Amino acid sequence: MSGKTAIIAANGGVFDAYKVFNIATAAAASEKEVRIFFTFEGLQLIHKEGMHHLEMPEGKEHVAEGFKKANIPSIPEMVEMARELGVKFIACQMTMDVMGLKKEDLIDGVEVGGAVTFLEYAKDASPTLTF
Amino acid sequence: MIKSNEQLDAKGLTCPMPIVKTKQAMAKLEEGQVLEVQATDKGSTTDIAAWSRSVGHHYLGTVEMDNVLYHYIRKGTNEPEVEKPFERTISINEIESRDGLILDVREAAEYAFGHIEGAKSIPLGELEARLDELDRDQEIYVVCRTGRRSDLAAQLLAKNGFSNVYNVLPGMSEWSGKLIKQI
Repeated sequence: MSGKTAIIAANGGVFDAYKVFNIATAAAASEKEVRIFFTFEGLQLIHKEGMHHLEMPEGKEHVAEGFKKANIPSIPEMVEMARELGVKFIACQMTMDVMGLKKEDLIDGVEVGGAVTFLEYAKDASPTLTF
Repeated sequence: MIKSNEQLDAKGLTCPMPIVKTKQAMAKLEEGQVLEVQATDKGSTTDIAAWSRSVGHHYLGTVEMDNVLYHYIRKGTNEPEVEKPFERTISINEIESRDGLILDVREAAEYAFGHIEGAKSIPLGELEARLDELDRDQEIYVVCRTGRRSDLAAQLLAKNGFSNVYNVLPGMSEWSGKLIKQI
């Protein structure tokens, strides 16, 4: 089994965010090296403002209540935890250009890179996951 | 309650938080010590077991009480080094037919989740202080999980005047007989 986990975060909803950060923190807690490549809508998950206002899927707004009841940490808290556990974040340069995002718009400590940066890391990672 | 070195309160937390907290708590323990994780997340039983396997700890078992799950994990799977092995040994399969005392020197939690009927529990770390509980003339079969801690225990006993001591090999890891739980 590989000691590396590679995750692509390509969507920007609340559900997507939890899938990404749950798996990322669980893998990091299991002593795996973890990198997440944020691309397209996925950049919202590490956007300074955007991460506080991620949307529920249409028609599922009532689930917000369930998150509260189950005492689930907020996404900014999950992000902080992932970073404390050593998870590395890579933001996709191309999507940032397309969306007019600057590095300062994203949370601190994010590395900006291209597809090759991720591929180089992911070539011997197992599993590689896409959300 | 089963004895442990540290307790972690992860009640009310959901996946992956119990694992994250367990990892942090485990880092503070020494090799061989036992952590108790209290959780209400139903998925934590399989998660804690899988996590322990994946990072190299020994998951001992889980007890459920009043809707709280108590998980027990022993840090690391390394056993202490033995410089010069204790010479008098016996196979685990032979001890059932013998009359002496089976002395189980694993941690209390390991003993609780499965031991040989009639075995007495004194963890290796407590043995020196509890020698008075043992009879110097009785045959004593010292057992642990893999034969390493029991080797050190057998040497300790011999040094203190116990003459009828055997180290049981390999240990509970190969015991195929009946297991008594005390939880």
